[in-house]
Amino acid sequence: MIRGYRPVARGTEFSLLLIPSLLAVIGLILIVLAPRNVVDWTWGEIWVSIAFSIVVLGISALFSLRGFQGDQLLLPITAMLSVIGLLMIQRLSPDLTRLGPDYAGLARNQMIYLAGGMGVLWIIGMLAGPLRIMRLLRDYKYLWMMLTILLQVSTFFIGQEVGEAKLWIRVGPVSIQPSEVVKVTLIVFLASYLDEKRDLIGSSWRLGRISLPPLPYLAPMGAIWVFALGVLVLLNDLGSALLLFGLFVIMLYVATGRLLYVSVALLSFLAACYVAWKFVDRIDIRVQNWIDPWAKDPYYTGYQQIQSDYALSAGGILGTGFGHGRPALIPQVHSDFIFSAIGEELGLLGTLAILALYLLLVVRGFIIALRARDGFVQLLAMGLSSIFAIQTLIIVGGVTRLIPLTGITLPFISFGGSSLMVNFVVIGLLLYLSSLPKRI
Amino acid sequence: MHLRDTFRKSCNLAAILIILFGLFSSEAISDARWLALLGLAWLLLLAGTHIELPDDLPTFNRGTIRTAFVIFTVFVLLAAQLLRIQVVQSDNTFHRTGIAPDKQIIANQRASSDSLLVQRGRIYDRNGIVIADTIEQDGEYFREWPDPATAYVSGYFSPLLYGSSGLEANWNEELTGQSGGDPVDEWLDGLLGRPRTGYDLNLTLDSNLQNTATDLLDGRTGAVVVMDVKTGAVLVLVSSPIYDPNQIFTANQEENDAAIAYWNDLNADGARAPLLVRATDGLYTPGSTFKTITSAIAIEAGVASPDSVYEDDGSLVIDGRELIEFNRPDPGRDQWTLEEGVGWSLNVVLAQVGLDLGAKRMREGAGRFGFGQPVPFDLQVATSQLASEDDYLENSNALADTAFGQGQILVSPLQMAMVASCFANDGKMMQPYLVQTVTNADGEVQETTRPKTWKTPVSASTAGDVRDMMIYAVEQGAIQRASGTGYLLGGKTGTAEIGDGSNNSWFIGFIGESEPEYAVAVVLEKDTSTPGTTTDIATNILLATMQQRP
Repeated sequence: MIRGYRPVARGTEFSLLLIPSLLAVIGLILIVLAPRNVVDWTWGEIWVSIAFSIVVLGISALFSLRGFQGDQLLLPITAMLSVIGLLMIQRLSPDLTRLGPDYAGLARNQMIYLAGGMGVLWIIGMLAGPLRIMRLLRDYKYLWMMLTILLQVSTFFIGQEVGEAKLWIRVGPVSIQPSEVVKVTLIVFLASYLDEKRDLIGSSWRLGRISLPPLPYLAPMGAIWVFALGVLVLLNDLGSALLLFGLFVIMLYVATGRLLYVSVALLSFLAACYVAWKFVDRIDIRVQNWIDPWAKDPYYTGYQQIQSDYALSAGGILGTGFGHGRPALIPQVHSDFIFSAIGEELGLLGTLAILALYLLLVVRGFIIALRARDGFVQLLAMGLSSIFAIQTLIIVGGVTRLIPLTGITLPFISFGGSSLMVNFVVIGLLLYLSSLPKRI
Repeated sequence: MHLRDTFRKSCNLAAILIILFGLFSSEAISDARWLALLGLAWLLLLAGTHIELPDDLPTFNRGTIRTAFVIFTVFVLLAAQLLRIQVVQSDNTFHRTGIAPDKQIIANQRASSDSLLVQRGRIYDRNGIVIADTIEQDGEYFREWPDPATAYVSGYFSPLLYGSSGLEANWNEELTGQSGGDPVDEWLDGLLGRPRTGYDLNLTLDSNLQNTATDLLDGRTGAVVVMDVKTGAVLVLVSSPIYDPNQIFTANQEENDAAIAYWNDLNADGARAPLLVRATDGLYTPGSTFKTITSAIAIEAGVASPDSVYEDDGSLVIDGRELIEFNRPDPGRDQWTLEEGVGWSLNVVLAQVGLDLGAKRMREGAGRFGFGQPVPFDLQVATSQLASEDDYLENSNALADTAFGQGQILVSPLQMAMVASCFANDGKMMQPYLVQTVTNADGEVQETTRPKTWKTPVSASTAGDVRDMMIYAVEQGAIQRASGTGYLLGGKTGTAEIGDGSNNSWFIGFIGESEPEYAVAVVLEKDTSTPGTTTDIATNILLATMQQRP
């Protein structure tokens, strides 16, 4: 045994992980049985779920063996969300394959990404300490800033267009989605910068007799943010733009406690929205679809939203059950609209349960932030957990027409490698942060 | 501080009330209005969750806690939005259809193509004659209604366009095999996605009598209802004008244009309204048929008996308004019993009975006959009313008018048939029904409707008194043209003034061998036919019913 590591019991985590493990197996059996008339299945058809269960339970066991002291709820919540996503992708895969060969292997890929993500999570949780990742994150903040800028610029020039938006860049054989990476690098930069300059930014800057915000210190932060946001808007990745905007406002608020910044930011945001709505046709269509997708052209512009409404309404309270709905009628159901598919097959109980899981995840992250001793850790944990709150609001609010639709992935559930990997990195970081010495 | 605490609680309560109002107020509320309400509720929730924090709390902790509460309020909105789409408005949303500018039709494919893949159950009349049929063609099932005289009782079924109505809507779960049989089998069917076979409905309706009644109506606007007084089984449910559900059913986009044109035509004339099943969903002023109810309430309350004598010398002055009597058979007589009052339909006599009863007893009595309450039935029934305004009956003239069936009373033909049944069945008002049994594809009975008493408005002796008065009306009173049938037959006619100079004509009554067996209600809307037509229609359909007894 390696010196210094003493096994600890992680009973809460391990026993909670039995729920997603069981769900994975039972859920997949139901999905496999749905189109058949008889109870007949083989273990080979559900290997994915068994692999999933082994991976999550194994990670928890390895944490125990290495004496890891981190939070015991993060992994079960994440696993629960991931398994719902995995099952949904499994369930959609045959329907989507009928629509086009591009969709073949969707489920297998999702499982590979999930396993990779879990591995990354474990590595970060375990090795962040020995590798001194905190110092790397804190001290090289301008490196993170440069990386943010670089990723954005490269997407702009070498990005590949998918639909209306430019979201992907190709590195060798893999495509990555830079906006997913940027959300983390931006938080790291902001946490480090705000922690260092917190007092200066919180104070006022006097110019003669007029009291002004400390513009010289706000400026670099504002510049990078405007830059990131601007590029996303130019790329038409409005969901990511909204996410970065939200993260920026929240972090500025918790670091300085000044509502003035929040108000100015929100007002300028509203003004920008108004201008966009007036002058950009694409955004005008989004707003119309939000208020009433039937109004203008239900067969073209409003089609996706209407199909999503149909799916959600088909679910009712209990849902149709895995495999018994027809969510594949919604275009892009496996990414932006996966929540509607869940609403159809798992019903209101399912959708509310998922919202509760996200809320629990966010609150857990906030508690880690509140308990941390160090200002940088506080801001980092707070920012990272806010990602899940904002993304959930953007995409669930969008598909249920609470707010205009701007596409973004539903964390852990939507299909997509970059998104899954980055979200597992975030959970890994939170796990590590929760294992640091606490205040209480 | 106490005050702030109260303020926060009121804000939260107001927010919840606003959301509940938005969810349940009315179906007419638009998405935009709902969003505006949600926005308002959100502001209130923000105020309501703005808890006080200790002054010495560090900035970061304060900000994080505040942020957590804001996030929580947003999640509450998400939950409210889901509740609305998935539960409260789910039926409307699910069945919503629309037409794009390029004439493409948008409909929920779940509702449409899925419906065509289910072998929908058939609907039969009481003799096994098909009312709604399912025909298979290339793995899809098409719906057909062979007899126009019974088709609209089944209702329309239009999964691609307009959804469904009538039995097709209310018994959809049985017709599609989702419920009504072995729950374990049905659950397994659902779990395994087996193709379901719908259950058949066997009605109490009689196609032959339905056709007889349709012929008797002869194209006039109105309704005929015949029911078994002992069980509540409905044998005839005729409504005119009719529509043809075959023309609303479509199986593909190509057929939609014709169906849309037909539908628009059906809805073009608000007064004709063929989609309205008048027998159950039409509301009419009952006119003098209501005198039976007034008498029953008075006898039950001990205010009158069939032999009570009232003065009627041709007019009655109530609060300065003179009520003229047109119906006295003998202008020389000015003393009349209640029995004669009902038998000859004397308004002045019944006005006095109503005034003796008073508003309170009138309201309570009508309530016992089911006025103001939804009638439980296999089809949608319009809810009747005694008066539209709460204090209407406090006026003596209004009370007198109501007592002889004018005023603000509105009632469906089905309910008046139930009233006649009640007098014919010792005061027991049976719950009406159309579906006698539900059977599976092998003909095995899955569900049977057992007769149920819905209400007992009056005692057996009171009911007997009113029954005898209705027999008196036929044998010695104003409707002697219905006498001489060889059966025990009682009845009461009514002519309801509807304000525009035209009248609705009514007949309610019953027939039987030695005691009443079947009850009838006939109404003709804006009747211009020769006097006595309503009575003739009612008498003929009752006789046909007796002759075709099983």
